[in-house]
Amino acid sequence: MDSPLQRAPDTVAGPVAGPESPHFADGVVPDDVDTGAAGTAGAAGTAASTRRLRALLRRPTFVISALIVAWWIAAALTWHLFGLNPYTSTGTLNAPPSWAQPFGTDYLGRSVFARTMAGADSALAVGPLGSVLATLLGGALGVIAGYFRGWVDTALMRVFDVLVVLPPLIFLIVVVGAFGASTPALIVIIGVVFAPGIARIIRAAVLAEMGKKYVTTAKVQGESAVRIMTTELVPNVLPTVIIQATLSLSAAILLTATLSFLGLGWQPPSPDWGLTISENLGYLESAWWTVLAPAFAVASLVVATQLIADNIKEVSS
Amino acid sequence: MSALDHGQTAATAPERGFSALSERHSRILVLLGKRLVQIPVVLFVVSIMTFWLIQLVPGDPGRNALGPYATQAQVHAWDVSNGLTGPVVARYLRWLGGFCTGNWGTSFVYLVPCRSLVLGHLVNSMLLGVYAFALMVPLSIVLGSVQAYREGRRSDRAITITLMSLSSVPEFVVGVLLLVVFAAWLKMVPVQAAADATGDLAQRLHAMTLPAVVLAIAYLAVLTRMVRTGTAGAITAQFHRTAVLKGLPQGQIVRRHVARNALIPTMQLLGLYLGALLGGNAVVETLFNYPGLGALLVVAAEHKDVVLLTDAVMVTGVVSLLALLLTDVCLILMDPRIRFENTES
Repeated sequence: MDSPLQRAPDTVAGPVAGPESPHFADGVVPDDVDTGAAGTAGAAGTAASTRRLRALLRRPTFVISALIVAWWIAAALTWHLFGLNPYTSTGTLNAPPSWAQPFGTDYLGRSVFARTMAGADSALAVGPLGSVLATLLGGALGVIAGYFRGWVDTALMRVFDVLVVLPPLIFLIVVVGAFGASTPALIVIIGVVFAPGIARIIRAAVLAEMGKKYVTTAKVQGESAVRIMTTELVPNVLPTVIIQATLSLSAAILLTATLSFLGLGWQPPSPDWGLTISENLGYLESAWWTVLAPAFAVASLVVATQLIADNIKEVSS
Repeated sequence: MSALDHGQTAATAPERGFSALSERHSRILVLLGKRLVQIPVVLFVVSIMTFWLIQLVPGDPGRNALGPYATQAQVHAWDVSNGLTGPVVARYLRWLGGFCTGNWGTSFVYLVPCRSLVLGHLVNSMLLGVYAFALMVPLSIVLGSVQAYREGRRSDRAITITLMSLSSVPEFVVGVLLLVVFAAWLKMVPVQAAADATGDLAQRLHAMTLPAVVLAIAYLAVLTRMVRTGTAGAITAQFHRTAVLKGLPQGQIVRRHVARNALIPTMQLLGLYLGALLGGNAVVETLFNYPGLGALLVVAAEHKDVVLLTDAVMVTGVVSLLALLLTDVCLILMDPRIRFENTES
């Protein structure tokens, strides 16, 4: 599944790259407030962020999406507390949905409901950490490239020239072949593969900020480059960073499910959704419920995270 | 107009070289020349990266190919004959030489020369990609322009919401849903496309329809959005109002003034998609068991078929670079204002 990765920049770049993005009232951080990056960001944006949070909570699509994500996180963390058994047979093979087995059973007689719930575990094993890593890496690169321009910028652009040649999934297939598909390896791979795309968008946002007066003021005041980047630029491009983090979470969940679906990720008897779909594809005509449940599960999680990103984007612009 | 000046000087000049061509054609030649340098450089970097990464693949290709009962000497002989021994640089140069001269090595999963295998699968992927393209381009142009002419109304919003939610659902989920409905419930199409994909045209089209629809759905939303933005921009522009007030016939306005301007941003996006579509989509081809390049790559990666994997990745890269080049040429033909300078800002 390569398209969301390619699509994400197109759908985001427009509103973000625009010259007018007054995310924080005017972004000027009082110089005498000598706190760390997080502290200053909080001081400058507390009122704005609570206002934005309230606006988010008024949006039904955001609330529903957040509930769906919360549901799957809860399922991932607590499924084994409810006596669900995704690994052993219940007796009947390929039984259609009934009261005893709400989602039916699969070709080994395992409960599809239990497997779908337990599958949330592997679906969320890589995505969150991978997207955090990608956001940190890509954000740092993007801010540095946007602030210094010069060779960092050129290097980033050249990396793009090469990366654009291969669809992300093909690239991922090769890299996973080389480094394996263990959870830590996948987290690092997702982090490194997504970082350049995030860097490009953060760079565009930083470039838009660079033209504003507060950056010039800070430079004239003699603030160091590191200080300008961490206390002036980062808080002002933070909404973009959060949107990119959410979008990359969605893409990471999708890509790991896709790898499992292709047989390159989790291996049987894991109840992973992507793997379950490909395992049961042969029984599609006789037992369609075995693919339908995990398909809806993947779709709900991916679409919900994407809708959360969309809502944040609309509220912050 | 500089094009006119150029034509006049060319007419007075005695020799008839490049200068005899119109400016637009000479710009295409310049672009082609630039890309002729740029494409091999990018491909060279991609090939080094791919080769190096694939060399890291743990596992013994010779042992994989010959099975557990071969002797160590046999495995070693196989490795030598397939060019898998020696330092990485030497192996890379040997592979590069072979790739450039058409000797792409032998796949040990399929036991046939990689070249015919990769190119055959590439043709299948291209057919599927063209089919998907033929479905999605007209549809997105129609939907996008309908949206632009009805901007802000309920139908505009309804189309956006429907397409956006359709396209954010993963491809294999859309594919599975379509399979459940059309193959399992209605029994209208085969579950597996492989058997029919090599039959006659009608059978092929029948087998390719579901995969093509899935591919088209995946790209439709963003494409329609681009058409909508481009058209909305063109119909609110001054030149459009002038054309209307001049009393030009509606058809001419749409053809000459709206379409040409509206489709420029769309064309750029189409180039990216064309590369991705023609190079094969691993997920959709695997789901429908369609014999395309994407599915071949997955098989090669699963079985650690090093030679096949390297060749297939390179071909994917060539296809997407050529698609980008084709897009740039089309853009020059459509929009004489476009320049490809080395400006980055």
